[in-house]
Amino acid sequence: MKTDTPQVPRGEGLGRTIILTAITAVITAVMFSQGKIPQDPKGAIALILTFLFANTLFFLIIYTGKTDRYRAVYFSTFAVMLIVSFISHMLEARGSMSLSEAKVFQCEVPFCHLVIPMTLVPIALTKTIIFPGSLIGGYASIASMFVLWIGATLALGRGFCSWSCFYGGLDDGFSRVLKRPVIKKINPKWIYLPFAVLLFVALTAAAYLSPTYCIWFCPFKAVTEFNAVTSTEILIQTIIFVSLFIGLVIVLPVLTKRRTQCAFLCPFGAMQSLTNKINVFDVRIDKEKCVKCKRCIQVCPTLSMSEESLEQGRTRITCMKCGKCIDSCPKGAISYHIKGTDIPGKRNTYRLLFLFAAFLFLAIFSSHIIQDGIVRILKLVTTGSMIS
Amino acid sequence: MKGFFLGLSNGVTCVAYCTPVLIPYMLGEGKGVAQNFVTLMQFLLGRLAGYLCFAFITWLIGLSIFGGLGSKGLIIGILYIIFSCLMMVYAFFRIDVPCAARSIGYVARKIRVPLLIPVAAGLLSGIALCPPFLLAMTDAAGKGSLSYSLFFFFMFFIGTSVFFIPIPFVGALRRLQALQIVGKMAAGIVGLYYLYTGIMAVIAGAEGI
Ligand code: SF4
Ligand code: SF4
Ligand code: SF4
Repeated sequence: MKTDTPQVPRGEGLGRTIILTAITAVITAVMFSQGKIPQDPKGAIALILTFLFANTLFFLIIYTGKTDRYRAVYFSTFAVMLIVSFISHMLEARGSMSLSEAKVFQCEVPFCHLVIPMTLVPIALTKTIIFPGSLIGGYASIASMFVLWIGATLALGRGFCSWSCFYGGLDDGFSRVLKRPVIKKINPKWIYLPFAVLLFVALTAAAYLSPTYCIWFCPFKAVTEFNAVTSTEILIQTIIFVSLFIGLVIVLPVLTKRRTQCAFLCPFGAMQSLTNKINVFDVRIDKEKCVKCKRCIQVCPTLSMSEESLEQGRTRITCMKCGKCIDSCPKGAISYHIKGTDIPGKRNTYRLLFLFAAFLFLAIFSSHIIQDGIVRILKLVTTGSMIS
Repeated sequence: MKGFFLGLSNGVTCVAYCTPVLIPYMLGEGKGVAQNFVTLMQFLLGRLAGYLCFAFITWLIGLSIFGGLGSKGLIIGILYIIFSCLMMVYAFFRIDVPCAARSIGYVARKIRVPLLIPVAAGLLSGIALCPPFLLAMTDAAGKGSLSYSLFFFFMFFIGTSVFFIPIPFVGALRRLQALQIVGKMAAGIVGLYYLYTGIMAVIAGAEGI
């Protein structure tokens, strides 16, 4: 054990924090309102609440120096609001959460980023988008999702999975329910499973020109939309979605305190891991400061920290840049870092640069969804129904 | 296409078993990348010959066993279920699988004619009774057509061969172990597909009795 005095980094001073938060406040005010205050009082309340919520959390992240604690609140709220908003939309537009064949043929299925790995090969080979969604316009169009995804990927790499994805907050939230894990040992080989799923779905989607993951494996179908059960095949698919959702998004995250769906199944997450290679930000360990207490290995929700990581001073490729290990390290040995610079270097500057990018993407992705979710909840409270 | 996927998902494992022989052989020969490619081609030709032999045998098996059966779908469904479960166990829970390719090293030492080493090694590695191979056999045998069987095994060969391409650039294999795990797990997912097909075939077969 080393005996040097710990240099645990603190947050920024109050004055600096206020200035930094003022910058995000201006940007988010414009972004959330899109230049106009809604006439409808529920819309106006939702706008103000979303604005205050986002900026208070940003303030706390900067001021306390704790990233993951406050990020998780924002991220999980985003996921819950997505469900509220999405289901309300589906009920409003179609009268149910199930998809009819007519909607599929009319290409009115909302596009979700998890489809992207399955669309890339067919786009390259046949110039066809194998998803029955609308290209532009409408609810969750293909073009808007692609643009946002490319931007977030360039800026954050797999940080997308802790700062942008509208599903990730679910298993993230459930992984925080218990104070201690009931299941402590997980074989690290399971972190390879998403890559196998990615290989399988990318190739089968290319071969059959159909989004196989959406049809067979996506756990989130259970809380968004699914095909009306009209055959044994669709019944089996529905059982798979629901079992995966209950198992990987609720039960296992609670028992293991890990993000089991994101770490051990999601093919999109695997693809994002590969983009970590080209992203400028990473999470690094200062080997001089590390005392090998292994706290970071215990807390990492994706098994991206290992003893090998401590030896090499870097995380596994699957790191989602959530900041949990950084918050937990008793010696302040772990930090956000810009590739090609010294370690620890200007760690506070690197952290701020990363946080600005990450926070703004979280705000972009979530603003409309959180506002709409609040409006729906207000409607529910005042009228007894979430839909118009 | 199914043959290709089975091959593809199993290819990494094939590479894992074959490279311990191929790479020392290539390094031992001390030739350049171009010559390594020639060796690899000889090896792959041997593999192709092995697979095509099996395609023929599989067709014969299909003809003699399934040909006269009324409840063919039921039997094939049961075989799918057994082999897909085997494949999933092999993919997710076990490291060791039966693979004839392991004996390549021994045979390679016995055969002294240099040109024959890669060909013989390839031929032997084409005769493996690992779970993906058994599933491929069931699939091909069930159709009862020689051309389907040959095509199926040809695609299986293409799928497994994809992973052999980087071998001439020996240094590129640092991540072989990670790739091997990913490949095996992909095989496990293909197993899930066959399990589903098997269950559906059994349901349909049972209804037909
Ligand atoms: S792993 Fe998948 S579900 Fe999880 S946060 Fe990433 S993209 Fe979303
Ligand atoms: S938490 Fe991790 S990085 Fe920090 S001192 Fe312990 S082992 Fe080292
Ligand atoms: S290594 Fe750290 S930042 Fe990366 S996923 Fe694990 S806890 Fe989060």
